[in-house]
Amino acid sequence: MPIKWVLYWQPNPGTTASSQIVNEVTQCVESMNGVKDGRWKSTLTFYKPIVRDQSQLSDFPRDFLGISLPEQPSKYFFIIRGQRLVLEADSSIQTIMEKLQSYKARVSLTFEGFQYQLGDFQLRVGKVSPTHSETLRGIVMEVEYLPISSVEKSRQVMEEFLDILQDSVSKRSLPGHFIHADSMFADYGLGDHYTSQHTAVQYAVVVAQVIASVQAGQGGRN
Amino acid sequence: MECVVQGIIETQHVEALEILLQGLCGVHRERLRIHEICLKSGPSLGTVASEVRLLCDLEQPEPTWTVRHVGGSMRGAGADQISVLVRPTVESKVSKNVLRLFYSLGYKLDHELLKVGFAFHFQRGAQITVIVSSVNKMLKLHATDEAVPVTPGIQLVEVTAPTTTENYTEVVAAVSSFCEHLAPLGVLEVLRYLHVCIPFDFSSVKESGEAIRKLLHLSKPGISTGVVPTAAAAAASLMSDGGGTTL
Repeated sequence: MPIKWVLYWQPNPGTTASSQIVNEVTQCVESMNGVKDGRWKSTLTFYKPIVRDQSQLSDFPRDFLGISLPEQPSKYFFIIRGQRLVLEADSSIQTIMEKLQSYKARVSLTFEGFQYQLGDFQLRVGKVSPTHSETLRGIVMEVEYLPISSVEKSRQVMEEFLDILQDSVSKRSLPGHFIHADSMFADYGLGDHYTSQHTAVQYAVVVAQVIASVQAGQGGRN
Repeated sequence: MECVVQGIIETQHVEALEILLQGLCGVHRERLRIHEICLKSGPSLGTVASEVRLLCDLEQPEPTWTVRHVGGSMRGAGADQISVLVRPTVESKVSKNVLRLFYSLGYKLDHELLKVGFAFHFQRGAQITVIVSSVNKMLKLHATDEAVPVTPGIQLVEVTAPTTTENYTEVVAAVSSFCEHLAPLGVLEVLRYLHVCIPFDFSSVKESGEAIRKLLHLSKPGISTGVVPTAAAAAASLMSDGGGTTL
């Protein structure tokens, strides 16, 4: 499948992400002749162990999360970041987890917005909010380059596109910028050929950054 | 959900059963080689102890993995009146690192098996699968190449069909109807309690061989010597007319 970079919005110190910024970024993409191409939505869930003795909570992973992606609606992905582990499964794995009654969903985040076509690129701009809530917690952008599936071979064209995008965004004097974090695919045993597991890992990295941004913003206000 | 019936057969009669099944099903068999790993939750994990099975299909060029959860079987007066076990099952195909994931989540290896045999998949009122397999244990962890039979000379016969809460009556009827073709021949015992016991007893592979023999004895004493040759005779009959007879 085509290479994809998942970017997150890094607010300037003392600021937070807002719907206004999402609108500005969207306008920015449209000003680059992006053609709106429908909506998209991904859901990420943090799981926590159900333990009989709370003192043993530390024996189990605290960063166990699952994600569903619109590019593979019949699949579900589990990630344990601390152990650099990503698992691809049929979506019925969620039913199995429910039946096992050993882990339960702690909190879910929804990533949703519009997608745009820009020549060979496909962009998705979305807000991050807790499921069943309108509270915006962050902003993400997916940049997909349709002709290439190689992580390495696409690096230059992706970096160049990102530079153009950053230039366009910076002209609007928004209080922050998009960042592409290194997801260290090799640590997860993922190869150069891009797959949905790469996307899942990127979301796990991005969500950690979004949470860190929210916590930093709250710390700044306090 | 699935409907399931299990039984056992002496290895010497498996070839005859295969020919019989081919005549009944009208399809060719598929080879079967499944490495089954049973995991149980660690002592402090979960509201109740839980169990999950990881199945690795070694017959594929690149082994494929499936997670399987089997729930408690249907109970009550209705269930008692049918000769087929109905139970909830959920399966999910997964990537090959699934064992590492479950270990990370706090699951422990309970036991592992290697099932080697063949399967028939066919439509006969329901999507029925018949599996005939030798159940093997590993002498060393995951050493499937060094597996030895749990019950030398005896193989497991399983007839299953997927079902739902809406149509299980029809599927039970289809499975029962198919099993009737085998039951008089004695190659398949329609024994629900045998099915319930086998997974439990396999958790202690050292004892399971004796357990199966015991169950066999309990369920139908003398079946392996008295009735199975009938299957061989039926198979011989099938072979004599080209194996195309539909029973």
